[in-house]
Amino acid sequence: MISVGGIGRAFHSAAGELGMLTTSRLIVDEVFAAAGEPGIVELRATLGRRYAVLDAVAAARLAGSPTPAPGPEAVATALRGATSLLVVGVEADALDALLPLLGGTRLGVLAVSELEVDWARCAASYGAATEVVPAADWARWAGRRAALLTFLYGRRGAATFVVPAWLRVSGPDVRTLFRTVLGWDVLGRPPDVYPRWLAETTVRDFSTVVGDA
Amino acid sequence: MTAPQVVLTSVLLTALAAQALIPSHRILVILCGAAVAALVASLGGVATTAVLFARVPWDVILILVGLGLLTEVLASTRVFGRLAVAFAVASRARPRRLLLLFATGMYLVSGLVNNLTALLLVLPVLLRLLRLLGVDQRFASWTLGALLVACNLGGAATPIGDFPAILLLGGGRLAFGEYLMHAGPPTAAALAAFLAVTTFVVRPDRAADDDVTVHRVALAVLRRLHRNVAIDRPLLIGALVIECGLLAAWLLVPRESGIGPELICWLGAGVALLLRPRLGEALVRHRVDIEAVLYFLGLFVMVGAVQASGVLDEAARHLAAWDAPASVRLTAFLVAAALLTGLLSAGPSMAALLGVADGLATAYDPVVVYVGLALAVCAGSSLFLTAATSGPLAEMLTDRAELRDQQGAVVRFGFRQFLPVGLLGFSVILATALGYVLLVG
Repeated sequence: MISVGGIGRAFHSAAGELGMLTTSRLIVDEVFAAAGEPGIVELRATLGRRYAVLDAVAAARLAGSPTPAPGPEAVATALRGATSLLVVGVEADALDALLPLLGGTRLGVLAVSELEVDWARCAASYGAATEVVPAADWARWAGRRAALLTFLYGRRGAATFVVPAWLRVSGPDVRTLFRTVLGWDVLGRPPDVYPRWLAETTVRDFSTVVGDA
Repeated sequence: MTAPQVVLTSVLLTALAAQALIPSHRILVILCGAAVAALVASLGGVATTAVLFARVPWDVILILVGLGLLTEVLASTRVFGRLAVAFAVASRARPRRLLLLFATGMYLVSGLVNNLTALLLVLPVLLRLLRLLGVDQRFASWTLGALLVACNLGGAATPIGDFPAILLLGGGRLAFGEYLMHAGPPTAAALAAFLAVTTFVVRPDRAADDDVTVHRVALAVLRRLHRNVAIDRPLLIGALVIECGLLAAWLLVPRESGIGPELICWLGAGVALLLRPRLGEALVRHRVDIEAVLYFLGLFVMVGAVQASGVLDEAARHLAAWDAPASVRLTAFLVAAALLTGLLSAGPSMAALLGVADGLATAYDPVVVYVGLALAVCAGSSLFLTAATSGPLAEMLTDRAELRDQQGAVVRFGFRQFLPVGLLGFSVILATALGYVLLVG
């Protein structure tokens, strides 16, 4: 039997800084290594309803097809020509894979989250030049050669799920302010349970969507 | 006592008490106290301000600044954060191992570098792990408290670890090797005894969560959070080579050569800063601990004025004239020093008592008196959370970390939570100091 309180606390503490998917993959891997499939079943039964991404990753593991790390090549291609990139939300695995492909692109991370985040350390994880961008300053990153990126947690028709911080920047005029408004679907499947901690939006927010449909 | 003696002693005691009661204004209190002391000394014909400034042990201040800058160079390599993660990984997040490894690690680190900087970089990692583990109030209090006691002991273990020892080294009262040889073993013994009592008698981990899965997850999260923290190896190697060179020079270069420990420190810090000139310039401009420099400058002026009035010499003469066995007199002095340090903190207490110790050192083995005093001051600085500068820092960082136990209750670390740890640390270290004096003296 696993300590549900302990795992939930670790998830809540890490998800803001590592991202929902990265934290879920990490926790599912560790629980699987320590307690096998029964541990994953228990994890899903106890924490799945609270954390939809964790539930989806656990379900994929039980189905025998663990959620893969996000592939960054298509995203790098979509961002070609951009000289600055503002990221809304964090997914450590995805960004770690993407950044080496972006060369000298200026990187900013929007400092808005429902979860606890040490933004200075979070930004430092992606290189000393990464900037923490306060919520009020996001528009300063707009421009002809600027890109805006957020992570999608599955799609259902035209609907998709994003971190609530996205709602602070999205709007009908935003697509005209940036060269590329990119949605990167890192989960690849819609959540099976109500996605608390996520917000629903439409893929029409984005000029480009990358990732499994 | 003459009128200037009474007034100067009152100014010193009032300033020391006020800075202990209002730590947020301690620099202002000490600097104002120093100005008043200089005025009284001038008007009373005790000493002019120029004389008081000439008596300031500038070599001690130079060593403080030099070691501080050397620590900043080491901190720039990000080695302390990596060390903290390494301690956490080595502990496998098991509560007892966690306490032992972090305490022992901080003891070793504090002997070589400024423990405030080291604590500032190590503590956030430990606090993050404690938060991930959801430890209870008791375990958190004892773990954080043990860390502070270990820092104090590490600072007293070497002549460059903390201000009291630096004062002995800078003043030429003890040679580097002499202090190291006499203070190192008792502090290590005190740490071992403190950790043994904590681990086997207090057992703060007895209610801790023993779920291996939680431990695995907590460690995996911690490692992932610090995944891209890379050590600047060339700078680290350079800084370590310089630190080793400094230790060798302090040990081997005789004072008679005219090259004192302060000059060795100055040269070493200069070379360390030149390793990365741009970084070095930035550190000199922005990271010199000017707060500590002003604090100790004010303190030295006040103590210098009291010393010039002859009060400290008289106190030492009274102690020497006390009709009691030598061991009893020294024991009484050390117990009083430890208690006074608990109230006033280590820097002021050491600066004020050193004059009395100088008097005692003419009657007893000076090494025993000075090392005994350093150990007693170390005991006192472990008594209350406010007695060492690292205490309020740990309190602030813990508040910011918003620790919670498994039931969601807030876990705090303040004066009250530290007190049981402080009482144990105080007792063990003072007993070690007295044991050292009785055995070696």
